[in-house]
Amino acid sequence: MAIMRVSNLKKSYGNLEVLKNVTFEIEKNDVVAIIGPSGSGKSTMLRSLVYLEQINGGSIQVGTEYLVQDGTYATSQEIKRMTSKMGMVFQHFNLFPHLTVKENLELAPKIVKGEGEAEIRKRSEELLAKVGLSDKAGAYPAKLSGGQKQRVAIARALMMKPEILLFDEPTSALDPELTGEVLQVIKQLAEEHMTMIVVTHEMGFAREVANRVMFMDNGEFIESGEPESFFTNPKTERAKAFLQRV
Amino acid sequence: MSLDYLIRITIPMLQGAQMTVLLFFIAIIVSIPLGFLITLMAKSSNKGLAAFAHTYIYVLRGTPLLLQLLFICFGLPLLPVVGEYLVMDRFVAACVGFILNYAAYFAEIFRGGLLAIDKGQYEAAQVLGFNKWQTTTKIILPQMFRVALPAVSNESISLVKDTALLYAVAVPELLHFAQTAVNRDFTIMPFFVAGIIYLLMTLLLTLFFKWLEKRTKFE
Repeated sequence: MAIMRVSNLKKSYGNLEVLKNVTFEIEKNDVVAIIGPSGSGKSTMLRSLVYLEQINGGSIQVGTEYLVQDGTYATSQEIKRMTSKMGMVFQHFNLFPHLTVKENLELAPKIVKGEGEAEIRKRSEELLAKVGLSDKAGAYPAKLSGGQKQRVAIARALMMKPEILLFDEPTSALDPELTGEVLQVIKQLAEEHMTMIVVTHEMGFAREVANRVMFMDNGEFIESGEPESFFTNPKTERAKAFLQRV
Repeated sequence: MSLDYLIRITIPMLQGAQMTVLLFFIAIIVSIPLGFLITLMAKSSNKGLAAFAHTYIYVLRGTPLLLQLLFICFGLPLLPVVGEYLVMDRFVAACVGFILNYAAYFAEIFRGGLLAIDKGQYEAAQVLGFNKWQTTTKIILPQMFRVALPAVSNESISLVKDTALLYAVAVPELLHFAQTAVNRDFTIMPFFVAGIIYLLMTLLLTLFFKWLEKRTKFE
């Protein structure tokens, strides 16, 4: 069953069309890798799913509700309810620098969801253990490496128990030797059947972890399919050309 | 130069310093929130409010504080019709002048602080479900104050020294008593004492802000 349906998504800045007729579905437990050249609209597409970008036309359906239907958005309260089902991990982590790791994790469950302290603490300890950072609970983000920051950001997103987790180039801002620890965490989430959409330039990771690869170029999806067949035998010329370059 | 004499001139100066300190606290406590309000107005999408805030900052920063104080103390009462209702106690009038003037400086400082905050912070807060109020109070303000702290510290020290302008509107404060003693006793000593008292006050303030900066280092 599809938990997210996107149809005919359009977005332009002035005369520049950045998204043209983007259509796809996300099934529960999907791990979808979105790849494509820089500037092809991957990030814009992903960000529009959580209302960080507004689209000019098309529909986004979350579960059975419409976040936006034929270019008309739901009320701000409905938008908030739907986007709360999604978590987001950013390229530049966006941790709150004035809060410790633990506070970064616990602030949103506390003030947004009003959950109890014991419940929150239990979950933050579990999640920090899961991303291998239990010893950093009291540290401020400034003291962490890029890879550690991104793992904290993943744990922070998971604190809100999202149904879908979105990653916007989660390793692009990292030194090469630090990407592994972050990809490892995402891989583990995939094994636990977390539904994820990952915009990435890590082809090896896309091939190994995703169950579907979608190739975007110039504001539209050109080709999508199983990673194995996509990477060994791309059908379109543009995908072939892209894969030869990377 | 006897110790007796030093004590005799220092006591009225310390009493005068009470005015200085009182003005300092009133001005700082009111002008910081007012300054922040003006920052918000300057950033508002309402064009009228934004224009008002920018004009306010321009006028208050672009004219001498001394002129503003004289204007409020001695100028406003001369206005036709409303003037008679605008006669204020000199100290109150001075407080109003300092608050309005310093609010303009703080507004600019905070605006700079806001500009320094990455838009990713707003995005992360939005995706986590924070509303506008929660984003502002829990995420933006603490970071803005941290960025603005050195500049706020600087402004506070200027404020201590600017309180000497009370002299010009004839509110007896530290400098007034020093000047009186110099004229009466024909000695330079009271100026030294006054200088030392100012230095002690700014030293305390400097230490306080150093401590605050250290405490909010987030490392």
